[in-house]
Amino acid sequence: MNSERDDIEAQDRRDLVRRGSFLKGMAASFAALSGGGCVFRPPEGKVVPLMEQPAGVFPGETLWYATTCGACTASCGALVKVRDGRPIKLEGNPEHPLSRGGLCARGQASVLDLYDSHRLRFPLLDGKEASWAALDAFVSERLNGVAVLSETIVSPTLRFAVERFLKKFPGSRLVEYDSLSASAILDAHARTHGVRTLPAYHLGKARVIVSFDADFLGSWISPVEFTKDWSPNRQPEREWDTMSWHAQFESRLSVTGANADLRVPLRPSEQYETLRQIGLAVASLVFWKGPKPPAGEPSSLNAAAVSDTAGQLARAAGRSLVLSGSPDAATQCLVNWINAMLGNYGETLVLDPAGLQKRGSETEFDRLLGDLEKGAVKGVVVLSGNPVYDHPKGAELAKFLDSAKLSLSLSGRPDETAVRCRAVAPDHHPLESWSDAEAVSGVLSLSQPAIAPLYSTRAAIESLSLWAGEPMSALDALRGRWKKSVLPGADFERRWHEALRKGVVLSDVKNPKNLRFDGRVLERLSPNPLRSAEGGFELSAYASPVLGDGRQANNPWLQETPDPISKTAWGNYASFSPEDAAKLGIVEGRVVRLSAGAASIELPAQIQKGHARGVVSAALGYGRTHAGPVAANFPVQKMLPVEREELSGADLFPLTAYSSVRVESTGRMSAPAKTQTYDEMSDPITGRRRPMVQETTLQDYFKDATSGRGKAMEVGPSLWPAHDYPGPKWAMAIDLNVCTGCSSCVVACGLENNVPVVGKAEVRKSRDMHWMRIDRYYNENGETAFQPMLCQHCDNAPCETVCPVLATLHSSEGMNMQVYNRCVGTRYCANNCPYKVRRFNWFDYAHEDLTQNLALNPDITVRTRGVMEKCSFCVQRVQSAKADARAENRAVTDGEVRPACAQSCPADAIVFGDLNDPKSAVAKKLGDPRSYAVLSELGVGPSVFYMTKVRNKKV
Amino acid sequence: MSARVSPLREPWVDGGKTLARITEDVCAPLERGPAPSWYWGLGASLTALLIGKIVVVHQIWTGIGTWGLNKTVGWSWDITNFVFWVGIGHAGTLISAILFLFRQKWRTSINRAAEAMTIFAVMCAGLFPLIHMGRPWLAYWVFPYPNELGPLWVNFRSPLLWDVFAISTYFIISATFWYVGLWPDLATVRDRSQGLRKKIFGVLSLGWDGSHRSWSRYETMYLLLAGLATPLVFSVHTIVSFDFATSVIPGWHTTIFPPYFVCGAIFSGFAMVMTLMIIARKVMRFEEYITLRHIDAMCKITLLTSMIVALAYGTELFMAWYSGNPYEQFAFLNRIYGPYRAGYALMVFCNVLVPQALWFKAVRRNPLWVFPISILINVGMWLERFVIITVSLHRDYLPSSWTMYYPTYVEIGTFLGSFGLFFTCFFLFCRFLPMIACSEVKAISTFAQENRETPRG
Repeated sequence: MNSERDDIEAQDRRDLVRRGSFLKGMAASFAALSGGGCVFRPPEGKVVPLMEQPAGVFPGETLWYATTCGACTASCGALVKVRDGRPIKLEGNPEHPLSRGGLCARGQASVLDLYDSHRLRFPLLDGKEASWAALDAFVSERLNGVAVLSETIVSPTLRFAVERFLKKFPGSRLVEYDSLSASAILDAHARTHGVRTLPAYHLGKARVIVSFDADFLGSWISPVEFTKDWSPNRQPEREWDTMSWHAQFESRLSVTGANADLRVPLRPSEQYETLRQIGLAVASLVFWKGPKPPAGEPSSLNAAAVSDTAGQLARAAGRSLVLSGSPDAATQCLVNWINAMLGNYGETLVLDPAGLQKRGSETEFDRLLGDLEKGAVKGVVVLSGNPVYDHPKGAELAKFLDSAKLSLSLSGRPDETAVRCRAVAPDHHPLESWSDAEAVSGVLSLSQPAIAPLYSTRAAIESLSLWAGEPMSALDALRGRWKKSVLPGADFERRWHEALRKGVVLSDVKNPKNLRFDGRVLERLSPNPLRSAEGGFELSAYASPVLGDGRQANNPWLQETPDPISKTAWGNYASFSPEDAAKLGIVEGRVVRLSAGAASIELPAQIQKGHARGVVSAALGYGRTHAGPVAANFPVQKMLPVEREELSGADLFPLTAYSSVRVESTGRMSAPAKTQTYDEMSDPITGRRRPMVQETTLQDYFKDATSGRGKAMEVGPSLWPAHDYPGPKWAMAIDLNVCTGCSSCVVACGLENNVPVVGKAEVRKSRDMHWMRIDRYYNENGETAFQPMLCQHCDNAPCETVCPVLATLHSSEGMNMQVYNRCVGTRYCANNCPYKVRRFNWFDYAHEDLTQNLALNPDITVRTRGVMEKCSFCVQRVQSAKADARAENRAVTDGEVRPACAQSCPADAIVFGDLNDPKSAVAKKLGDPRSYAVLSELGVGPSVFYMTKVRNKKV
Repeated sequence: MSARVSPLREPWVDGGKTLARITEDVCAPLERGPAPSWYWGLGASLTALLIGKIVVVHQIWTGIGTWGLNKTVGWSWDITNFVFWVGIGHAGTLISAILFLFRQKWRTSINRAAEAMTIFAVMCAGLFPLIHMGRPWLAYWVFPYPNELGPLWVNFRSPLLWDVFAISTYFIISATFWYVGLWPDLATVRDRSQGLRKKIFGVLSLGWDGSHRSWSRYETMYLLLAGLATPLVFSVHTIVSFDFATSVIPGWHTTIFPPYFVCGAIFSGFAMVMTLMIIARKVMRFEEYITLRHIDAMCKITLLTSMIVALAYGTELFMAWYSGNPYEQFAFLNRIYGPYRAGYALMVFCNVLVPQALWFKAVRRNPLWVFPISILINVGMWLERFVIITVSLHRDYLPSSWTMYYPTYVEIGTFLGSFGLFFTCFFLFCRFLPMIACSEVKAISTFAQENRETPRG
């Protein structure tokens, strides 16, 4: 493992860029001289085999370890794929009871963060490299009366270490905050139930879900878990009422809203009154006798939507759920009131065992700032998180970090907070550390290192225990704590190893408290505290499902993955409703200035269907100054002529301190980098709808299961003889009803298949390389549909007939194969692909960052420039499953092969298998009346089938 | 005047020239020093060629990404230029082969230059499929050469492979035909020159002795080669059109393409011949050989092919409507109303409306009118290929992939470079080879007609 690190450091020392350019220059001059025979070869080097083979490690063999995803506090279970000592992919752990095998885009991409060459490689003192001893000496003298500031600590072992640390230093305290705060939900439960906690949500039990600006399928609290809960209930069965009903009241079009059956645009300031009206309607339906909340600002409410929603909720009392993402505690109290009236507590949301993903408190953060001002707190230890960037009052905190006796960050990256601290004691990447996580009470998952630390970093648990004077390794701390509280009793070793293997342990919560709703608080609610400013726009700041709060802003994969709704990559933008845009006289791409108080940012405008009027929305997580070169949008490819933009997007956090902003146009333009530039299902000239997305309503579906399928055009006879598939015939079925558009598959596919990242300028030129993309369309009613689009592996593939050199061929198992080293790059195949899924290597997409290259999948060729590439149905996984089956002298079983996209899908929308096996899941899907093939009228015979989208329009 | 020449039919060569005078006139540009305008012309062509060379080297060194193509539009200016240049070539073969078989005597004044134009145009055309490849250094893989790569062979189902055969055949036959036609004239130049030139032309003329036996064999061979070249006029552009017609893309997948492309090719080819001849007859002082009647005749063919092309445009639109295929209907409506509508409108203006002026004899016989018309037709025919290729691709089946294409300086420079190559070759041709088929013109001159011995019957 140590040799690994030496290798990387040795590689870093070399000046590779210069060498690479030299070789290219040589090759090109040969090409120019001889007019041919130009072949790019990698530089030669010596490879020395190991003298002693490490036990249990076989070259080329894949090892899987169960661990916990560290990308956010949702702490999904993950399996890390290790090849030759290197973690190269993260996948969901199917045994984890919350994430159940799903993993979001950010989780998938977090393996690239490990190999980020912008990470800290050593401790820092006053911005300079220091030894650990010097750092420890500096820190140990200054630990009295400090505050430990951290984002929510989900690791019980780390929490224990922090508590021990705090006990050691009197006057010190822990302050937790969340960049994507749920503080209002906790505060509301403190007021209505007497306990400041986040409920554990059980969306799977809810027949009716009503959400107010809570993007639970995208970025709210625990999106993978919620998607896993939500999606099984979205399968229409042919009996009534098996499909849930989902209403979304929201200020902007979110992924969750795009998947809702009823969607009502609503300004944040209208939320209180709307909830109150729904609450009153529910109260009358369930004969609620308790106190009622005071009225808020009168607003133009959609009365029909309110009464219908209330009716649906009341009918599903005890099996319904109301959610809100509002940062206002009064609004959240109304949510609790409605849930309590409906008897949902204990059913669809539970306070004990509670959700532990978010424990941050805005009041505590404010109190810390006050104490720093007064000098009551002498120093700040930033254990995790990046509050200078991702808290609205980060600038105030930064002031104190500059002047405090001790400002210490444990961040593994030189982020906005770390660079303001006097000392930085870098923590490991989660894939290098021993840790645990308890995202919901009683669900304990383990993290184990998949690689030795790449750099001179130290686990936070170890740092804290060392400073507390009780040095202890992270593993010992973890085992000690688990032995005591998680796996008490005999036979610890065996159960510990079992837990490590599974990655997760369930422990019963002893004597759960039965907390009762106390309605007295309702009468004292201050109504509608979020007043809309005169003449201004209300601000809706959100976390995109792709970049979240921006902690992974230096991750090229996440930056290049487009937002599921706007299909814009590399930067954020200010969204307006079409009406507001017309009123302001702005067009898409016009740079607007949003300002409030002293904060002001500039963003390109984006005109968004379904957006609430009077609201401007923009994504958090962009505009980071200290995330690294990727977030600063430096050219990904050195040879490309890239128009320099200083930062990818603008930082919205300072504005989130305000609920409304002024909007002015700057007159400048900045074209967004969009992967999809036409949004509608119908064409702009005839207005005729194209049938790639076929959809129906639940009522129509009950009358006729094939409804919405449209009349397919007749397919003439084929000139080509049909292919014979003696063995398996691989095929895929994608359920449009449950695909939420979250883009987890896009990232998973890119990592699995070494798909290049091309950067903002190239995406602007429509040259994104994604093998798997998610098309997002609006229908004639303005409703949204997502359609994952990938190579359809046609039986009569138009690409195969046109390639002059047979670089793309048909396999005997129904796959359309691309032979990279035979391809001469005529691009005829891409032109002739009706689905436009083929991707051409316009340049030699640089792999100059050698550290990052460690994440490349060794099973997949890295393509050179001038060749075509596309989805292979993860043929490497098929081959490996076949090899395994052959070694065990059996056939490949159904479900054994799961392409990266299908594996990662939190909604289980993608099913892959053998169509020649009538019992396979994919064959059953094909037999479903909802199944159809896109553009089947062309007679190309795709191997990918889609299930019609069924909208539950009960109202 | 002799009764053998119809008083109703004007002679094709003016000035009542003697045979010796014809030889003098045709050889004059070779023998007198080049005019300054020739140097200027060659200099401009070489500059354009150099620009083209620089951008092509840059493109091959950096990648196709230097072009404006994207994931949706995989071909644009590259294949547009390819089809444009192949089309230009067709007039030459039509003039030299088909008009020869039909005994159209007026062809003799222009066939040499038209054939040269064919060869240069095919050279320009051949450049584009080569450089449009992502890995042009592997271009030889498109030939079915014996190899030790196992059963690795080319894909005979691919229209692109058919192109390889069509274009290479076309180039070989055209070049052979042209060279064979040059023999008697090369010998004439040989006989009139001294020193090195005599040696070079001596080798090139393969010892031509002007004997009756030579002439007899020569004419048989020329006839056979004309017969061989004739089908190529139809087959080459038919095969080029298969690149599109056999695909699945709406706007490409059209059975009308083979005749439509062939007529379009002849249309654009004649326009290019007229452009060149109108300049050449003035600069080279060939007004008496390439007369206004020649231009008139070419205008008539241009007018005919223009109307066939117009019919094809109309048929395409009608078939799109009549087929009931919504994708195809949209593809054509998108040409008319979509983001590239200006291109379509200009194409119809140049190819359909402008040539209607050729109904008038006064226009046909006035080079000041014909010259701009011929330029406009070339612009229109280039746009036709752009409309077919790019405008069909940029919005095909799935709206999610619709996008726009804009050319970069590299593509514009490459196109400029292809003109540079074409005109460089043409300028060198004018200066170093007899531009008019001397021996053939002699046969139709008034002098020859009048002094012909009556065969005894």
